[in-house]
Amino acid sequence: MKARIAIVAALLGATLTPTLAIAAEGAGEEHGSWGALIFYVINFLLFVGILWKYALPAGRNFFKARALGIRETMSKADAAFRGAQEVANRAAERMARLEAEKNQIASDLADETVFQIGRIYDLGQEAAARIKRDAELSATALAENARRRVREALARAAGNLARELVVQNFKPDDQTRLLRGFVEKLGEEAGQ
Amino acid sequence: MRSSKVAKRYARALMGLSNDHAQLEAWGAEIERLARIVDSPEVAAQLESPTVTHADRMAALGKIAERLDLSFPVRSFAVVVASHGRVREVAAMAETYARMLDDLMGRARATLTFAYQPSDEDLARVVAGLAVIAHKKIIPTNNIDASLLGGVVAELEGKIYDGSLATRLADAERRLSG
Repeated sequence: MKARIAIVAALLGATLTPTLAIAAEGAGEEHGSWGALIFYVINFLLFVGILWKYALPAGRNFFKARALGIRETMSKADAAFRGAQEVANRAAERMARLEAEKNQIASDLADETVFQIGRIYDLGQEAAARIKRDAELSATALAENARRRVREALARAAGNLARELVVQNFKPDDQTRLLRGFVEKLGEEAGQ
Repeated sequence: MRSSKVAKRYARALMGLSNDHAQLEAWGAEIERLARIVDSPEVAAQLESPTVTHADRMAALGKIAERLDLSFPVRSFAVVVASHGRVREVAAMAETYARMLDDLMGRARATLTFAYQPSDEDLARVVAGLAVIAHKKIIPTNNIDASLLGGVVAELEGKIYDGSLATRLADAERRLSG
Protein backbone atom coordinates (compact mmCIF):
# COMPACT_ATOMS: atom_id res chain seq x y z
CA MET A 1 0.00 0.00 0.00
CA LYS A 2 2.78 2.36 0.98
CA ALA A 3 4.61 1.48 -2.19
CA ARG A 4 1.55 2.13 -4.21
CA ILE A 5 1.17 5.50 -2.56
CA ALA A 6 4.79 6.28 -3.24
CA ILE A 7 4.47 5.33 -6.90
CA VAL A 8 1.35 7.36 -7.25
CA ALA A 9 3.07 10.31 -5.58
CA ALA A 10 6.09 9.98 -7.91
CA LEU A 11 3.92 9.73 -10.94
CA LEU A 12 1.93 12.73 -9.76
CA GLY A 13 5.12 14.61 -9.21
CA ALA A 14 6.46 13.73 -12.61
CA THR A 15 3.22 14.45 -14.24
CA LEU A 16 2.61 17.68 -12.52
CA THR A 17 6.12 18.95 -13.11
CA PRO A 18 6.73 18.39 -16.82
CA THR A 19 8.92 21.45 -17.05
CA LEU A 20 11.33 19.83 -14.62
CA ALA A 21 11.48 16.68 -16.72
CA ILE A 22 12.13 18.64 -19.83
CA ALA A 23 14.81 20.68 -18.12
CA ALA A 24 16.47 17.51 -16.88
CA GLU A 25 16.93 16.40 -20.40
CA GLY A 26 18.83 19.62 -20.81
CA ALA A 27 17.61 20.35 -24.15
CA GLY A 28 16.23 23.51 -25.54
CA GLU A 29 13.28 23.58 -27.66
CA GLU A 30 12.88 20.40 -29.67
CA HIS A 31 10.17 20.15 -32.21
CA GLY A 32 8.63 16.87 -33.51
CA SER A 33 10.34 14.54 -31.02
CA TRP A 34 8.48 11.14 -30.63
CA GLY A 35 9.90 10.65 -27.19
CA ALA A 36 8.40 13.85 -25.99
CA LEU A 37 5.17 12.95 -27.57
CA ILE A 38 5.11 9.55 -26.00
CA PHE A 39 6.09 11.09 -22.71
CA TYR A 40 3.27 13.51 -22.98
CA VAL A 41 0.90 10.79 -24.02
CA ILE A 42 1.95 8.52 -21.20
CA ASN A 43 1.88 11.43 -18.88
CA PHE A 44 -1.53 12.28 -20.09
CA LEU A 45 -2.77 8.73 -19.87
CA LEU A 46 -1.39 8.45 -16.37
CA PHE A 47 -3.16 11.63 -15.54
CA VAL A 48 -6.34 10.35 -17.08
CA GLY A 49 -5.94 7.01 -15.33
CA ILE A 50 -5.40 8.68 -12.00
CA LEU A 51 -8.38 10.82 -12.63
CA TRP A 52 -10.39 7.83 -13.77
CA LYS A 53 -9.32 5.79 -10.77
CA TYR A 54 -9.67 8.32 -7.98
CA ALA A 55 -11.19 11.55 -9.00
CA LEU A 56 -13.98 10.20 -11.19
CA PRO A 57 -15.64 7.97 -8.52
CA ALA A 58 -15.31 10.70 -5.99
CA GLY A 59 -16.71 13.18 -8.44
CA ARG A 60 -19.35 10.75 -9.48
CA ASN A 61 -20.30 10.14 -5.89
CA PHE A 62 -20.23 13.82 -5.21
CA PHE A 63 -22.46 14.60 -8.15
CA LYS A 64 -24.68 11.62 -7.41
CA ALA A 65 -25.09 12.87 -3.85
CA ARG A 66 -25.48 16.33 -5.11
CA ALA A 67 -28.09 15.21 -7.64
CA LEU A 68 -29.87 13.29 -4.94
CA GLY A 69 -29.79 16.33 -2.68
CA ILE A 70 -30.98 18.51 -5.49
CA ARG A 71 -33.73 16.04 -6.33
CA GLU A 72 -34.75 15.88 -2.68
CA THR A 73 -34.65 19.62 -2.44
CA MET A 74 -36.62 19.86 -5.64
CA SER A 75 -39.08 17.29 -4.39
CA LYS A 76 -39.41 19.18 -1.13
CA ALA A 77 -39.74 22.41 -3.00
CA ASP A 78 -42.32 20.80 -5.25
CA ALA A 79 -44.21 19.46 -2.25
CA ALA A 80 -43.96 22.84 -0.59
CA PHE A 81 -45.13 24.46 -3.79
CA ARG A 82 -48.03 22.04 -4.06
CA GLY A 83 -48.86 22.65 -0.39
CA ALA A 84 -48.66 26.36 -0.91
CA GLN A 85 -50.78 26.03 -4.00
CA GLU A 86 -53.28 23.99 -2.08
CA VAL A 87 -53.34 26.55 0.71
CA ALA A 88 -53.73 29.26 -1.89
CA ASN A 89 -56.54 27.31 -3.53
CA ARG A 90 -58.19 26.80 -0.21
CA ALA A 91 -57.78 30.46 0.60
CA ALA A 92 -59.20 31.39 -2.78
CA GLU A 93 -62.02 28.95 -2.25
CA ARG A 94 -62.71 30.43 1.18
CA MET A 95 -62.52 33.90 -0.27
CA ALA A 96 -65.02 32.88 -2.91
CA ARG A 97 -67.20 31.32 -0.24
CA LEU A 98 -66.85 34.40 1.93
CA GLU A 99 -67.91 36.53 -0.97
CA ALA A 100 -70.91 34.31 -1.61
CA GLU A 101 -71.67 34.30 2.10
CA LYS A 102 -71.37 38.07 2.22
CA ASN A 103 -73.68 38.34 -0.75
CA GLN A 104 -76.11 35.93 0.90
CA ILE A 105 -76.02 37.90 4.15
CA ALA A 106 -76.51 41.14 2.26
CA SER A 107 -79.42 39.58 0.39
CA ASP A 108 -80.93 38.22 3.62
CA LEU A 109 -80.51 41.59 5.29
CA ALA A 110 -82.16 43.30 2.36
CA ASP A 111 -85.06 40.81 2.45
CA GLU A 112 -85.40 41.17 6.22
CA THR A 113 -85.32 44.93 5.92
CA VAL A 114 -88.05 44.86 3.30
CA PHE A 115 -90.09 42.49 5.46
CA GLN A 116 -89.59 44.62 8.57
CA ILE A 117 -90.51 47.77 6.70
CA GLY A 118 -93.67 46.10 5.42
CA ARG A 119 -94.48 44.82 8.88
CA ILE A 120 -93.91 48.22 10.48
CA TYR A 121 -96.05 49.78 7.78
CA ASP A 122 -98.83 47.26 8.36
CA LEU A 123 -98.63 47.72 12.12
CA GLY A 124 -98.69 51.47 11.64
CA GLN A 125 -101.73 51.21 9.39
CA GLU A 126 -103.44 48.92 11.88
CA ALA A 127 -102.64 51.20 14.82
CA ALA A 128 -103.84 54.22 12.89
CA ALA A 129 -107.08 52.44 11.98
CA ARG A 130 -107.57 51.37 15.57
CA ILE A 131 -106.90 54.86 16.90
CA LYS A 132 -109.31 56.26 14.33
CA ARG A 133 -111.95 53.70 15.23
CA ASP A 134 -111.48 54.31 18.96
CA ALA A 135 -111.63 58.05 18.43
CA GLU A 136 -114.83 57.67 16.40
CA LEU A 137 -116.36 55.43 19.05
CA SER A 138 -115.32 57.78 21.83
CA ALA A 139 -116.65 60.76 19.93
CA THR A 140 -119.91 58.96 19.24
CA ALA A 141 -120.22 57.91 22.87
CA LEU A 142 -119.42 61.40 24.08
CA ALA A 143 -121.92 62.91 21.70
CA GLU A 144 -124.56 60.37 22.64
CA ASN A 145 -123.87 60.94 26.31
CA ALA A 146 -124.14 64.68 25.89
CA ARG A 147 -127.38 64.27 23.92
CA ARG A 148 -128.75 61.96 26.60
CA ARG A 149 -127.86 64.41 29.34
CA VAL A 150 -129.46 67.25 27.44
CA ARG A 151 -132.57 65.12 26.85
CA GLU A 152 -132.68 64.19 30.52
CA ALA A 153 -132.27 67.81 31.61
CA LEU A 154 -134.97 68.91 29.17
CA ALA A 155 -137.29 66.11 30.25
CA ARG A 156 -136.71 66.93 33.90
CA ALA A 157 -137.38 70.60 33.29
CA ALA A 158 -140.48 69.77 31.24
CA GLY A 159 -141.69 67.38 33.95
CA ASN A 160 -141.20 69.96 36.67
CA LEU A 161 -142.96 72.59 34.59
CA ALA A 162 -145.82 70.21 33.87
CA ARG A 163 -146.17 69.38 37.56
CA GLU A 164 -146.26 73.05 38.48
CA LEU A 165 -148.86 73.72 35.81
CA VAL A 166 -150.94 70.78 36.98
CA VAL A 167 -150.78 71.90 40.60
CA GLN A 168 -151.77 75.44 39.64
CA ASN A 169 -154.52 74.62 37.18
CA PHE A 170 -155.94 71.29 38.30
CA LYS A 171 -159.73 71.35 38.69
CA PRO A 172 -162.28 68.86 40.01
CA ASP A 173 -163.42 68.25 36.44
CA ASP A 174 -159.91 67.16 35.56
CA GLN A 175 -159.95 64.64 38.38
CA THR A 176 -163.33 63.32 37.19
CA ARG A 177 -161.97 63.05 33.65
CA LEU A 178 -158.87 61.21 34.86
CA LEU A 179 -160.97 58.78 36.91
CA ARG A 180 -163.25 58.18 33.97
CA GLY A 181 -160.22 57.40 31.81
CA PHE A 182 -158.94 55.07 34.54
CA VAL A 183 -162.23 53.21 34.66
CA GLU A 184 -162.25 52.91 30.87
CA LYS A 185 -158.81 51.37 31.00
CA LEU A 186 -159.98 48.94 33.65
CA GLY A 187 -162.89 48.03 31.38
CA GLU A 188 -160.49 47.44 28.47
CA GLU A 189 -158.32 45.27 30.68
CA ALA A 190 -161.35 43.28 31.82
CA GLY A 191 -162.37 42.80 28.19
CA GLN A 192 -158.99 41.37 27.17
CA MET B 1 -150.26 41.37 54.88
CA ARG B 2 -149.87 39.36 58.02
CA SER B 3 -150.59 35.70 57.49
CA SER B 4 -149.24 32.45 58.75
CA LYS B 5 -150.19 28.82 58.78
CA VAL B 6 -151.18 29.16 62.44
CA ALA B 7 -153.39 32.18 61.68
CA LYS B 8 -155.01 30.29 58.79
CA ARG B 9 -155.73 27.28 60.98
CA TYR B 10 -157.38 29.40 63.69
CA ALA B 11 -159.32 31.52 61.17
CA ARG B 12 -160.55 28.37 59.40
CA ALA B 13 -161.61 26.87 62.75
CA LEU B 14 -163.63 29.94 63.67
CA MET B 15 -165.21 30.04 60.25
CA GLY B 16 -166.16 26.39 60.51
CA LEU B 17 -168.33 27.11 63.53
CA SER B 18 -171.20 28.48 61.47
CA ASN B 19 -172.75 28.49 58.01
CA ASP B 20 -174.68 31.66 58.60
CA HIS B 21 -173.05 34.40 56.56
CA ALA B 22 -174.44 37.18 58.70
CA GLN B 23 -173.07 35.57 61.81
CA LEU B 24 -169.71 35.03 60.17
CA GLU B 25 -169.69 38.70 59.21
CA ALA B 26 -170.46 39.69 62.78
CA TRP B 27 -167.68 37.47 64.10
CA GLY B 28 -165.33 39.04 61.57
CA ALA B 29 -166.08 42.50 62.91
CA GLU B 30 -165.69 41.26 66.48
CA ILE B 31 -162.37 39.58 65.92
CA GLU B 32 -161.16 42.67 64.12
CA ARG B 33 -162.07 44.77 67.15
CA LEU B 34 -160.28 42.29 69.38
CA ALA B 35 -157.18 42.38 67.15
CA ARG B 36 -157.10 46.19 67.24
CA ILE B 37 -157.06 46.17 71.03
CA VAL B 38 -154.65 43.25 71.45
CA ASP B 39 -152.32 44.63 68.80
CA SER B 40 -152.11 48.09 70.38
CA PRO B 41 -148.60 48.60 71.75
CA GLU B 42 -149.48 49.05 75.41
CA VAL B 43 -151.79 46.00 75.59
CA ALA B 44 -149.45 43.85 73.46
CA ALA B 45 -146.51 44.72 75.75
CA GLN B 46 -148.49 43.66 78.82
CA LEU B 47 -149.78 40.45 77.25
CA GLU B 48 -146.39 39.43 75.98
CA SER B 49 -144.50 40.32 79.14
CA PRO B 50 -142.76 37.32 80.73
CA THR B 51 -143.75 38.63 84.17
CA VAL B 52 -147.43 38.01 83.36
CA THR B 53 -148.46 34.46 84.17
CA HIS B 54 -150.41 32.32 81.80
CA ALA B 55 -153.50 32.45 84.02
CA ASP B 56 -153.33 36.26 84.27
CA ARG B 57 -152.92 36.50 80.52
CA MET B 58 -156.03 34.37 79.97
CA ALA B 59 -157.96 36.37 82.53
CA ALA B 60 -156.90 39.64 80.89
CA LEU B 61 -157.97 38.46 77.48
CA GLY B 62 -161.28 37.28 78.93
CA LYS B 63 -161.86 40.71 80.40
CA ILE B 64 -161.01 42.42 77.14
CA ALA B 65 -163.47 40.16 75.35
CA GLU B 66 -166.12 40.93 77.90
CA ARG B 67 -165.44 44.66 77.66
CA LEU B 68 -165.70 44.50 73.87
CA ASP B 69 -169.00 42.70 74.29
CA LEU B 70 -167.93 39.86 72.05
CA SER B 71 -170.26 37.02 71.27
CA PHE B 72 -169.74 33.72 73.07
CA PRO B 73 -167.97 31.93 70.20
CA VAL B 74 -165.51 34.76 69.68
CA ARG B 75 -164.91 35.07 73.40
CA SER B 76 -164.20 31.35 73.55
CA PHE B 77 -161.98 31.72 70.53
CA ALA B 78 -159.98 34.45 72.31
CA VAL B 79 -159.57 32.27 75.39
CA VAL B 80 -158.36 29.34 73.29
CA VAL B 81 -155.91 31.60 71.51
CA ALA B 82 -154.59 32.90 74.81
CA SER B 83 -154.35 29.44 76.34
CA HIS B 84 -152.21 28.33 73.39
CA GLY B 85 -149.96 31.38 73.76
CA ARG B 86 -150.93 32.75 70.35
CA VAL B 87 -152.07 36.24 71.42
CA ARG B 88 -149.41 37.75 69.16
CA GLU B 89 -151.08 36.10 66.15
CA VAL B 90 -154.57 37.57 66.74
CA ALA B 91 -154.09 40.40 64.23
CA ALA B 92 -152.94 37.94 61.57
CA MET B 93 -155.93 35.69 62.40
CA ALA B 94 -158.32 38.62 61.98
CA GLU B 95 -156.77 39.52 58.66
CA THR B 96 -156.85 35.94 57.41
CA TYR B 97 -160.42 35.51 58.63
CA ALA B 98 -161.47 38.68 56.80
CA ARG B 99 -159.86 37.43 53.59
CA MET B 100 -161.45 34.01 53.87
CA LEU B 101 -164.77 35.64 54.60
CA ASP B 102 -164.35 37.91 51.56
CA ASP B 103 -163.67 34.86 49.41
CA LEU B 104 -166.73 33.16 50.84
CA MET B 105 -168.91 36.19 50.24
CA GLY B 106 -167.48 36.84 46.77
CA ARG B 107 -165.97 40.21 47.50
CA ALA B 108 -162.50 41.79 47.36
CA ARG B 109 -160.86 44.58 49.27
CA ALA B 110 -159.22 47.39 47.35
CA THR B 111 -157.05 50.21 48.63
CA LEU B 112 -157.72 53.35 46.63
CA THR B 113 -155.34 56.28 46.86
CA PHE B 114 -156.65 59.52 45.35
CA ALA B 115 -154.89 62.81 44.79
CA TYR B 116 -157.96 64.66 46.03
CA GLN B 117 -160.97 63.61 48.02
CA PRO B 118 -163.23 61.95 45.41
CA SER B 119 -166.91 62.68 45.04
CA ASP B 120 -169.27 59.81 45.81
CA GLU B 121 -170.01 59.50 42.13
CA ASP B 122 -166.31 59.24 41.22
CA LEU B 123 -165.69 56.72 43.99
CA ALA B 124 -168.63 54.61 42.87
CA ARG B 125 -167.38 54.70 39.30
CA VAL B 126 -163.89 53.52 40.27
CA VAL B 127 -165.27 50.80 42.55
CA ALA B 128 -167.54 49.60 39.74
CA GLY B 129 -164.58 49.49 37.36
CA LEU B 130 -162.60 47.40 39.82
CA ALA B 131 -165.57 45.10 40.33
CA VAL B 132 -165.59 44.45 36.59
CA ILE B 133 -161.97 43.45 36.77
CA ALA B 134 -162.24 41.28 39.91
CA HIS B 135 -165.71 39.90 39.18
CA LYS B 136 -166.35 40.47 42.87
CA LYS B 137 -167.99 43.04 45.07
CA ILE B 138 -165.35 45.61 46.03
CA ILE B 139 -164.87 46.90 49.55
CA PRO B 140 -162.79 50.04 49.16
CA THR B 141 -160.41 51.64 51.63
CA ASN B 142 -159.70 55.23 50.65
CA ASN B 143 -156.49 57.22 51.11
CA ILE B 144 -155.45 60.68 49.96
CA ASP B 145 -151.96 61.42 48.59
CA ALA B 146 -151.49 64.86 47.00
CA SER B 147 -148.19 63.80 45.42
CA LEU B 148 -150.22 61.81 42.89
CA LEU B 149 -151.24 65.22 41.40
CA GLY B 150 -154.44 63.71 39.99
CA GLY B 151 -156.17 60.40 39.28
CA VAL B 152 -156.05 57.32 41.47
CA VAL B 153 -153.90 54.30 42.35
CA ALA B 154 -155.80 51.14 43.22
CA GLU B 155 -154.37 48.05 44.88
CA LEU B 156 -156.57 45.02 44.36
CA GLU B 157 -155.72 41.41 45.16
CA GLY B 158 -152.00 42.09 45.06
CA LYS B 159 -152.12 44.03 41.81
CA ILE B 160 -151.56 47.77 41.38
CA TYR B 161 -153.68 49.71 38.89
CA ASP B 162 -152.00 53.09 38.49
CA GLY B 163 -154.11 55.88 36.97
CA SER B 164 -152.29 58.77 38.64
CA LEU B 165 -151.15 61.90 36.88
CA ALA B 166 -147.77 61.74 38.64
CA THR B 167 -147.05 58.38 37.04
CA ARG B 168 -148.18 59.62 33.64
CA LEU B 169 -145.87 62.61 33.92
CA ALA B 170 -143.01 60.38 35.07
CA ASP B 171 -143.63 58.11 32.05
CA ALA B 172 -143.66 61.09 29.72
CA GLU B 173 -140.45 62.37 31.31
CA ARG B 174 -138.83 58.96 30.87
CA ARG B 175 -139.91 58.80 27.23
CA LEU B 176 -138.56 62.29 26.62
CA SER B 177 -135.19 61.48 28.13
CA GLY B 178 -135.04 58.45 25.81
